[in-house]
Amino acid sequence: MILLALKDLKLFITDIKAVLLTFILPIILVTLFTIGFGGISGSRKSNPIKLLVSDQDSTEITQNIITKLDSLKELDIEQLPLVKAKKTIKEGKRMAVLTFYKGYSDSIKNGGQVPMELFYDESREAEIGLLQQALMSNLMGMVGQQKIKKNIFNLIDKKNANLSPALLNKIHKQVDEQLADFQSKDKNPVTQGMDLKMTKLFADEEPNWALIQAVAGVSVMMLLFSVAAMGATLLEEKERGTLKRLLYSPINPLKILFGKMLYTFLIALAKLSILFIFTWLVFNLEIFSNVTALIILLIATAFACTSFGIFLAAICKSRKQVESLSTIIILVMSAIGGSMMPFFLMPPFMQKMAMFSVNYWSIQGIYDIFYRHLPTINILEKSLVLFLIGIVISLISINRYKKNILKVA
Amino acid sequence: MIKIKNLHKSYGDIQALKGIDIEIKEGEFYGLLGPNGAGKTTTINILSTILKPDDGEIFINGFNLKTDAKQCKNYIGIVPQEIALYDDLTAYDNLFFWGKLYKINNKLLSKKINELLNLMGLEERKNHKIKTFSGGMKRRINIACALLHSPKIILMDEPTVGVDPQSRNLIFEALRKLHQQGTTIIYTTHYMEEVEKLCNKISIIDYGKIIAQGSINELKKLSKISESIIIYSDSELKEKKEIISNSIKIPFDIYDNNIKFYTNNINTDLSKIINEINTIGINITNIELKKTNLETLFLELTGRKLRD
Repeated sequence: MILLALKDLKLFITDIKAVLLTFILPIILVTLFTIGFGGISGSRKSNPIKLLVSDQDSTEITQNIITKLDSLKELDIEQLPLVKAKKTIKEGKRMAVLTFYKGYSDSIKNGGQVPMELFYDESREAEIGLLQQALMSNLMGMVGQQKIKKNIFNLIDKKNANLSPALLNKIHKQVDEQLADFQSKDKNPVTQGMDLKMTKLFADEEPNWALIQAVAGVSVMMLLFSVAAMGATLLEEKERGTLKRLLYSPINPLKILFGKMLYTFLIALAKLSILFIFTWLVFNLEIFSNVTALIILLIATAFACTSFGIFLAAICKSRKQVESLSTIIILVMSAIGGSMMPFFLMPPFMQKMAMFSVNYWSIQGIYDIFYRHLPTINILEKSLVLFLIGIVISLISINRYKKNILKVA
Repeated sequence: MIKIKNLHKSYGDIQALKGIDIEIKEGEFYGLLGPNGAGKTTTINILSTILKPDDGEIFINGFNLKTDAKQCKNYIGIVPQEIALYDDLTAYDNLFFWGKLYKINNKLLSKKINELLNLMGLEERKNHKIKTFSGGMKRRINIACALLHSPKIILMDEPTVGVDPQSRNLIFEALRKLHQQGTTIIYTTHYMEEVEKLCNKISIIDYGKIIAQGSINELKKLSKISESIIIYSDSELKEKKEIISNSIKIPFDIYDNNIKFYTNNINTDLSKIINEINTIGINITNIELKKTNLETLFLELTGRKLRD
């Protein structure tokens, strides 16, 4: 029994692919997800949430609140007019805008309902949850404090009209300090009744962001797996001897590579098209809302994925190597690119890394079409990046192909 | 037709070819004989343009292989050692695909495919997938793929490895037909029987060098070892040495139970020896003929067997 177990262990160790998949891949993925969900060092350091603020009241009170919000470590404030802010959110560049309407300061003074509203991108609901928490615990405290403070000052000034302005200022200061102390101990009493109106920006169009995330994330990841397998057929040709026979013929050796790329590209494009047609038929995804942009994006995605598949074949020496390497690279790329976890959950350095993945540009492009309903020109930008990724990887693949694959003799 | 001059090729420190010179005339059936690792496949790979030589020149039908590779490729059909076919395609589809690479028009190609399937005895299997074929049948399709563009020269790199006798004979028949039609064939193998059966000119290659070149008869003449006839007997032979010597004027040695006659012409000397031995009264129990062949010649030239 021990002998058999030892034999199997020996066989297992000699199988690099099995070793990689068994030990290294889970380690890589656990590391990525831990970093992604901010679980490093046991204490979570949250990234500042980038919040747009539109101050239509433009008073000292609103500006003070904005300054205080900006000083919070969990928020990064940028002021924009409401129309522009909404456009920025719809383009997916920011997730929410906090709006202080005209009369905000007056309503604080008068003790009425404060006119403020948070417009947000529903697709980033989880992130909005964090924002809402941050606002409830800070903004409401500030608003409530301002409101109470104003009422107390009004009362003191009214009851002590005979006191000198200097003395009244001193009293105001002392009240201010005590209120700050009171706020730090218990915020609840001052936040009661201070509701923040939450409005989804995409409410009219009602796009199903969960469906979009599922289609975008899974389609690109699965496509990468299949193009890797298709690219590996180049190595299969080498192992089978048919590549040698192709090289005997008068065709240019590069045409062999381009032929393989064309085949992979066509299958990839067909696969993506069928997937989107399926989601249209079964889940009512409006694929005809901007069909031109969708076709351009699918072509760009298929091309970028194809080049990746060919690249794997060009740098590996055997199909087994392709299988091992592709599993690792695709899972890592999918993890950082947004196929496996929401992009906003990642720390900034991972968000930057995501831009080197095919997944990111493709997923964002799909969001632009189906969720943000951006015009074709905006899709072109992401498609162009995908084409550039494809071209660069293809050029490297051609170089490797000449050096590795063509050495058949 | 083919001129190979001073061909050198190294893989790192290993010198695969150390200055090969071969001249092959149009219509010759040329054998490249040598053990595994001798340099046969390297020579074929250089001729097929997929490998560049370190030094030397090759001319095919007047074209320099280095500068006019594309023209040269059209003259050559190559049968690789591997069965380079697509298992999931039919025999016809495989042949069609490989033929189209030479830009043959569909009608002509279809006609050629049927001709070749007939030549290889596989017409009835044309629509069957390659994966259903036996090893020998696959070998035959493998050869047919190299003939689609009617090449003037066919390079065959050990085309009968792992082939059953029936397929082997069919392949030999097909090659003889092609040779009769004027096709120049270069055939590499380590089976000397195949070379003796098929080739009219041979180069023996070993450790990257040509160690002998010529027709089979010319090569046999190179051998210092003569052919021999061994007569086995249950009679007492040593007592009759003088009588044998006087009656049979052929050099011989007597051992315990046999007499070994050294001759250069077995066919004429055999009957003469048998008659004289019977006349002397020696009872013959067995006769063994030892002919010089390429195997013995190779052993003599290199000190090792062809299949070592």
